Amino acid sequence: MEQFWNVTLQLLGGFMQNCELFGVTLLAALPLGLIVAFGSMSRFFPIKAVCRTLVWIIRGTPLLLQLFVVYYIPPMMTNGDFRFGDRMTAAIIAFIINYAAYFSEVYRGGIESIPKGQYEAGYVLGMKKRQIFFKVVFMQVIKRIIPPMSNEIITLVKDTSLARIILVEEILKFADDFRVQGLIWPVFYTGVFFLLFCGLLTLLFRFIEKKLDYYKV
Amino acid sequence: MAFLEVKNIKKSFGKNTVLKNIGFSLEKGEVLAIIGSSGSGKTTLLRCVNFLETPEKGVIYVGGKLLFDADDPMIKRESEIRRNRLHFGMVFQQFNLFPQYTVFDNLVLAPKLLAKDQIRSRGSYRGVASFKQAQASIISEAEQLLEKVGLTEKRDSYPCDLSGGQQQRVAIARALALHPDILCFDEPTSALDPELTGEVLNVIKGLKSSDSTMIVVTHEIGFARAVADKIIFMDNGVIEEEGTPDEVIGNPKSQRTREFLARFNRFGD
Repeated sequence: MEQFWNVTLQLLGGFMQNCELFGVTLLAALPLGLIVAFGSMSRFFPIKAVCRTLVWIIRGTPLLLQLFVVYYIPPMMTNGDFRFGDRMTAAIIAFIINYAAYFSEVYRGGIESIPKGQYEAGYVLGMKKRQIFFKVVFMQVIKRIIPPMSNEIITLVKDTSLARIILVEEILKFADDFRVQGLIWPVFYTGVFFLLFCGLLTLLFRFIEKKLDYYKV
Repeated sequence: MAFLEVKNIKKSFGKNTVLKNIGFSLEKGEVLAIIGSSGSGKTTLLRCVNFLETPEKGVIYVGGKLLFDADDPMIKRESEIRRNRLHFGMVFQQFNLFPQYTVFDNLVLAPKLLAKDQIRSRGSYRGVASFKQAQASIISEAEQLLEKVGLTEKRDSYPCDLSGGQQQRVAIARALALHPDILCFDEPTSALDPELTGEVLNVIKGLKSSDSTMIVVTHEIGFARAVADKIIFMDNGVIEEEGTPDEVIGNPKSQRTREFLARFNRFGD
């Protein structure tokens, strides 16, 4: 029993790292993704080309590989003069870029699904483009993207364990340390942490969807 | 010069010329009905007048003021267009209400934003210098408009809870909330069940008596005849015939007009 609590505490400490990676990535990638989405829809070709290429590269390569790139390439290019202060920073940067790319496509789908008539109604009422976007279109986009966004966000929870590959001290790394010492059950036990966290998120998303139920788009 | 002067409008989509150098004029307080078969260019003409489409050629004057000139790039800037658009109100076939706002908020959203902007940039909105006062009059006007279209009790409902006819009446009130000089209707009853068209047409009829200038693109020939002072029959991008309802509908001169009207009469319109 004492061993169980000991393991639980250790894993919980590791899981805090997962939570930090999750939280920071979410906070940064949500707005950044919106900016990238605007870029991908820009009428100015160079911006559009850059954003779409970025999204293509990020979505077209494994996140695991992107973690390696962010962690190892800067010191290689600078003969070791520059590297990210700690492994966690490198992981956060890779995750933000990766998730901003995925989020941007969710946003783009949502924005492009809003009927042209909504913009035209705004125009004939003398509204500015910015006002139309933020006062009229945005809330409709939010409502439409909550289901696909929930999916991405729940995937993000589990993806945080990939940071282990650059030795971030997250939950699976701790579990693996136990395994090396001959104690194998903590590896399976980690699933409980992820399950509980995703369960909470699912409830939260369901609550938000209910909250937005008062109108239809 | 008439109150509204639309001259030499030419508009193409790709190789397809939809409006072939056409124009019309309208006096203050008059109602113009534009009829014609689908694809004849009536909706495009209305959209050009509202600056939702940019014609390649043509000019538009309201009250003697030049609002659009296809040859003048300055007047086609977004800020100019936005200001000039306010001379026109537009009611769409598909209503285009804002789904996340209540009926009341649909009415006051744009006037409030406009009041804020105009007070900031010019010092006043409709002669009022304080935003609070402007807001108070926007709110009371919105309430009056809801009464006018008979939807006072739907004030706090959301568009998804209204029938099509009710939504369209809200859309009319929303357009009126900005005090347009000319109110435009793009087939306002075409998306409605036949039993709901009456309530919308009655509201439009009611506006005529309150001296609004209106342009109505419609397939309701009986309605056009009853309400319009002037009718334009469009065919294939040109104005085939224009005149009073009695002239155009009662006694059409053009062969095309006769053919078009015959199709309606056959079903006892």
